[in-house]
Amino acid sequence: MMAKQPISYAVLRGEVIESDLIEFGGRGGDITFLAPDPHKIIDRIPLASPRLMEDMYELSTDQILDYLSELGERLRLDKNPYLHDALEYSYATAPTTKPIMDSFFHDLPFMFDKQRIRKMVDFNIGIDYLEGWVEQQLNGCTVGIRAYGSRQLHIVAGNGPVLGALTVIRGAVTRGDMIIKVPSNDPFTTGAIARTMVDMAPDHPVTKHLAVAYWRGGDEALESRIYQPHNIEKICAWGGFASVRHVTKYIQPGIELISLDPKRSASIVGPEALESEAAMIDVGRRLAADFATGNQVACSASRLVYVMCGTDDEAIEKLKQLGQKTYDAMLALPDVISTKPKHYDRELKSQVDMLRLSDDFYTVIGGQDDEGAILISHTSDRVDFWEYLVDRTINIIPVDTLEEVLDVIDAYTQTVGVWPENLWDVVRHKGALHGGQRFVELGYGFNGAGLVGPQDGIEPMRRIVKWIVSEKPGPDKVPLWGESAASVKMLA
Amino acid sequence: MATIAPLRDNTIEREAQAWMNDPYEHFCHHNSRIHSLPREEVEAVQLAAMQLRFAERMDQVQMLKKLADGQGITAIGSFNDLAPLLMPHDVYKSYPVSLLAKQQFGKLNQWLGKLTRHDPTGVDVSECDSIDSWLTRIRDATLLDVGASSGSSGTMSFYPKSKRDYFLSMWGLRVQLAQKFGEDPRPGDIHDKIHAIIPLYRDGHASMGAFGKYSCQAFALGDPAFWHYCFDMKLSSDLMWLAARLRAAAAKGDASKVDVPASLLARRGEWEAQQANMGDQQLEFVNKMIRELSGKRVFVMSTSNLLYAAAKRGLEEGLSGVFAPDSVFMGGGGAKGVPLPDDLEEVICKFFNTKRMIASYGMTEMNSFSVLCDHDRYHLPPWVTPWLLDLETGQPLPRSGRQTGRAAFFDMTAESCWGGLVTGDLVTIDWDHQCECGRTSVAIEKQIQRVSEAQGGDDKITCAATPGAQAEAMEFLTGFGS
Repeated sequence: MMAKQPISYAVLRGEVIESDLIEFGGRGGDITFLAPDPHKIIDRIPLASPRLMEDMYELSTDQILDYLSELGERLRLDKNPYLHDALEYSYATAPTTKPIMDSFFHDLPFMFDKQRIRKMVDFNIGIDYLEGWVEQQLNGCTVGIRAYGSRQLHIVAGNGPVLGALTVIRGAVTRGDMIIKVPSNDPFTTGAIARTMVDMAPDHPVTKHLAVAYWRGGDEALESRIYQPHNIEKICAWGGFASVRHVTKYIQPGIELISLDPKRSASIVGPEALESEAAMIDVGRRLAADFATGNQVACSASRLVYVMCGTDDEAIEKLKQLGQKTYDAMLALPDVISTKPKHYDRELKSQVDMLRLSDDFYTVIGGQDDEGAILISHTSDRVDFWEYLVDRTINIIPVDTLEEVLDVIDAYTQTVGVWPENLWDVVRHKGALHGGQRFVELGYGFNGAGLVGPQDGIEPMRRIVKWIVSEKPGPDKVPLWGESAASVKMLA
Repeated sequence: MATIAPLRDNTIEREAQAWMNDPYEHFCHHNSRIHSLPREEVEAVQLAAMQLRFAERMDQVQMLKKLADGQGITAIGSFNDLAPLLMPHDVYKSYPVSLLAKQQFGKLNQWLGKLTRHDPTGVDVSECDSIDSWLTRIRDATLLDVGASSGSSGTMSFYPKSKRDYFLSMWGLRVQLAQKFGEDPRPGDIHDKIHAIIPLYRDGHASMGAFGKYSCQAFALGDPAFWHYCFDMKLSSDLMWLAARLRAAAAKGDASKVDVPASLLARRGEWEAQQANMGDQQLEFVNKMIRELSGKRVFVMSTSNLLYAAAKRGLEEGLSGVFAPDSVFMGGGGAKGVPLPDDLEEVICKFFNTKRMIASYGMTEMNSFSVLCDHDRYHLPPWVTPWLLDLETGQPLPRSGRQTGRAAFFDMTAESCWGGLVTGDLVTIDWDHQCECGRTSVAIEKQIQRVSEAQGGDDKITCAATPGAQAEAMEFLTGFGS
């Protein structure tokens, strides 16, 4: 008899479902898990009618923040058996390691801090716009704008367990109705949070406006029924070409796709980094913090590092020293931030080992023990497998000019770490034109405003709400009838 | 590492030398004998050949020496000892791509020289101004005929195989295809000129350009009157590379960021012009062959779709059985995502009056093709040693029972390179199964997948970008044989 199989609970609008369990997962040696047969619960996943959104408007923002704050209190790992189990099971499904997962779960309650969320809402949307109509005078009219909650479906990513929590928070504060389809690499965490909500306040509107379930992404029979304009208004899809691509076929008038496209990140470093031992140590630490944090599973983790030092032999020698310092700094990061990767990607390992043989063109530091590796190009070429860099592996590339770097910033680029200060203005400006979305001081990619900030340039919070407009004529407005009608300028 | 000293059995060593150097001659070109050897004997010869090749190539192929030294491997005592020395196929594109863009063929020669025993670094390539001129220069001045293939990401791989390698490859096809398993070869199977109908190019450095030439040697015994190709031109590797670079740049969202020499970019329209109507011209060519070579013994190597189109039309016109009954039809390839018609085999066999359309499994980096038997297994010639590697650990799976893993091979007949290769293919071998076709040789089951495809679609969602399984339109062009 095998050990108890973990369950990915469906939690539908205040009710925990654990019947009709069927098996999922198990591909590529992963664990299998049970989840309620999604076809049996499909009718209860979407909100029955937009009329049912009204209860969210009986709540003030403060009341929603109070709710979230109390929820945060209950998400302490030592007090919450649901989360405790979710963490235990997630060790097997998550792409990161135990110390990193422990740290994520330990820090979960802090995400629900009232002041932090209030600041997030005000920064991204403006609380006034959620609480009522923000009115201005324009063209003789009183124009009001208000952010309404939408009926939204979230296809969340599973490479960080915080993403489900973040989605719950964002949906609640915007008074949205949320369906969260959990991913197979994190099928437990969001359900545990939702079960805590049911225990805490089963009839509360925020609890009632959350439906969490697992189904296999691409289950057409199921998705074609849910993904309809009478059920949902917005689909927010995180990453994964496959996940975004198959969602696009359901996009039609009445359904908007918010696509948090898969991204990758890079670093741009000036020649000053190689000028002294102290500079190399400093830049090495900054680089390690930007690529190795969370074991490089996030899109904001750097993968390519461009150093504007030129490609002569002396520069390459120094670049190797910088590589060594970066490697040392990676190993020195504490366990809660970065560890030896869970399973070093075999494909990548084979590529890295092969690169070791091409020592005319590349230097490989580390990587013998699956701990991560620094790949140093001797020419201005990135490695051929640059799109597959993962598990604490970066490519450091020497270039002569900034133009060469800008050539590789494209629509897939999210965060760009910049050092030193003298590059800041030009990289930020020109990089934006090429497609870069977020510019940070090198070393602070994971240690800045974070996910309560604007994330990348996609502004998911502003886009999951519906922006509604109201207009009323001012006293001097001339109507389109009567004697003066002919003199009205019909401007678009 | 095993510490058993290699057996000093001269008989086995002599046998291994014969297999390595001229296997078909050694077996009198007798296909049934080649595929009827006892497993223990084959494995003993294979191990002896590995030991001989390893000792020899360590001094000749620098990349092998580096790989072996890096792992402290000094001798081969067992098949598993060799596994860490199998090179990933990507090693043949491990040069910085800027060398191509900057046309630094001297440096590329140095790189290439580390992968082969026929070192091309002495060849003066200072005048070369294109990939074609570089590879032609090497071909003229050395024993090499480098195989170039272009991938979807815009890189090009160069496999420094020799002319002898190419010939062995094609001769192996002739031996395995012209004879019926279980029977002795008829004299004509080996000594007659057979018309080679290859609806491809007269020349070129990619397999599509090279197959014709070497088929002429192996099937037409060098007589140009028995060699029939569709396009009277050389397939340009420069243009193939340009096409791949353009596609890669467009996929990235900025078609202007194409890092190729300006002179090449100026030839942009040429490739498109060549590709236009290619299918129509090939169909016309096959139809012409049907008229001109009626009743003759022919060897046809083509895509299945092309044979199907020609056969369908022929049947509609009331024709069938146009070629001699002992003709051979090898289909294959076809673009991914283009489904083959359900009645494909039926239509082709009926029209061409053949029992079966032959399929084979092979690749540029290996001399030996494996032919699909009547029981849907690709049988490896005895001079090819397969390994199945665990996808997670990269370690060899047991050589018993039914196993599925990443295919890796050692082809002892490799005359130029090391011969040990790790592929991107996921294959299945039932080690204990005696195939119903009668061949005793190790066989790969028909269902072959790309590892990258097999690993996709697991519903794991992440915000970090990785390329999806590569849908390669170029595979249509280079995908013969699998």
